Amino acid sequence: MRRLSGVPAVWRALTPPVCRTVPWRALAAGGALGLLLAGMPRMVDGLNDDFYALNLLRAAALAFALSLAFLLDDPARHTTAAVPTPRPARQALRVALVAPVAALWWTAALLLVPAEVRPPTGDITLEAAATLVLTLAASATALRFAQEAEPGTAVAAGLLLTAALTMVLVPDRWAMFVYMKDEGWAASHDRWAMVLAMAVLVWGVCGPEPLRRRVRPVPSGA
Amino acid sequence: MTPTVSASGLCLRYGGTRALDDVSLRLTQGVTGLLGPNGAGKTTLLRVLATAVPADQGAFTVLGQDPGTARGRQEVRRRLGYLPQTPGFHPDFTAFEFVDYVAILKELTDRGARHREVRRVLDEVDLSDVRGKRIKKLSGGMRQRVALAAALVGDPGFLVLDEPTVGLDPEQRMRFRELIARAGEGRTVLLSTHQTEDVAMLCHRVVVMAAGAVRFDGTPAELTARAAGRVWSSTERDPGAKAGWRTGLGAFRNVGDPPPGADLLEPTLEDGYLLTLDGAGTEVAV
Repeated sequence: MRRLSGVPAVWRALTPPVCRTVPWRALAAGGALGLLLAGMPRMVDGLNDDFYALNLLRAAALAFALSLAFLLDDPARHTTAAVPTPRPARQALRVALVAPVAALWWTAALLLVPAEVRPPTGDITLEAAATLVLTLAASATALRFAQEAEPGTAVAAGLLLTAALTMVLVPDRWAMFVYMKDEGWAASHDRWAMVLAMAVLVWGVCGPEPLRRRVRPVPSGA
Repeated sequence: MTPTVSASGLCLRYGGTRALDDVSLRLTQGVTGLLGPNGAGKTTLLRVLATAVPADQGAFTVLGQDPGTARGRQEVRRRLGYLPQTPGFHPDFTAFEFVDYVAILKELTDRGARHREVRRVLDEVDLSDVRGKRIKKLSGGMRQRVALAAALVGDPGFLVLDEPTVGLDPEQRMRFRELIARAGEGRTVLLSTHQTEDVAMLCHRVVVMAAGAVRFDGTPAELTARAAGRVWSSTERDPGAKAGWRTGLGAFRNVGDPPPGADLLEPTLEDGYLLTLDGAGTEVAV
């Protein structure tokens, strides 16, 4: 039987069905909640200052990231475990479909914040990007090391817990959520850049399907 | 005959558990049954042979290709059909859309030819009438057949079926047996099952696994012959039997080492299977 001649042809044919497997409802819910949070300084007088605007934008990014935790969920994972189009290719296609939507959404979220209280766009975008990529890296890791087909709920819970623990437990000199007029603002964004780089690295390592397993030596008699 | 699958020394460990322990086997055309208790390593072996998970040690080839290399795995997957133990679906897809999606993932060519192939496999599993129905509205047996159609699409040379008849009613099971028998004509099928009747009716060969290792590899007749002279009838439960149960006729059917002068019975494949397993000491009262 003739087969598609190359990767681009597979991607073209795959785009419509993969587009249907994207959890658009979850993304719409997370996106709507995020826009609502980002728009609060404009809607509520008491919140119209740079401190609230900054933290509401962070909350907006987290809301969208929580919905993004479901992006790599694949109920047909086991049924399609042994097909020649590898899982990372399908995941990449989903991400490619959602990336422009996410970029538009974030632009809208930024524009909803009044210009006079809006945090530095580059820095807050770095925080948002790191949060979103960290979520995808966590999903890819869960899929790599667990047999779960839909780890989204666990990943979302883990993300929420990590955000809460980061706020509460991380000492000031390593703080991630810093006020922009604080002297540690620039240093915190160096750390955000590191988080982003680490997340990309983890995603890159955990995304591909392994050809061999790493075998740990087992003590004799075990 | 050139084997479709040739595996030697396959080992795989999950934590401290040896899921596969030095498994070697060769599979040729026709249906081979894989029997074993829960936790025997059947699903792990199937997942390894289907290239869904790599082994820790050992080597194997499928249809002449080595799945240990990226190119080899790709080639194997192009000629492989896999029905997992718990097939999942995108529930909003129709049966046709889902099998079509799998056909694209199997790199099948242009839309027209692919759709003809999807219609062919749906017809083969008797789902033509419901091909436009959403999967979430189909019964469990029908979903199982959608998964089989997805495995069959692209006419694979090697078909891996992991307990395809589990959870099906007797009529559905009979229908599934027909499908598997048909699928085994001209290709190699590896069928994992708990049902010894499935093996007796479908398979030209049977492999028994326990604790991650192969305990028996031969024909169903050879497995049955292991119980020759070791099945007997008695009016009371025989404490010396490895397994014993009261039949519908009131007498006890015992499997193990019979006492002198026992009333020997014709063995079945299940008797041979029970005697092959180490842990066959459970007594069953029916």
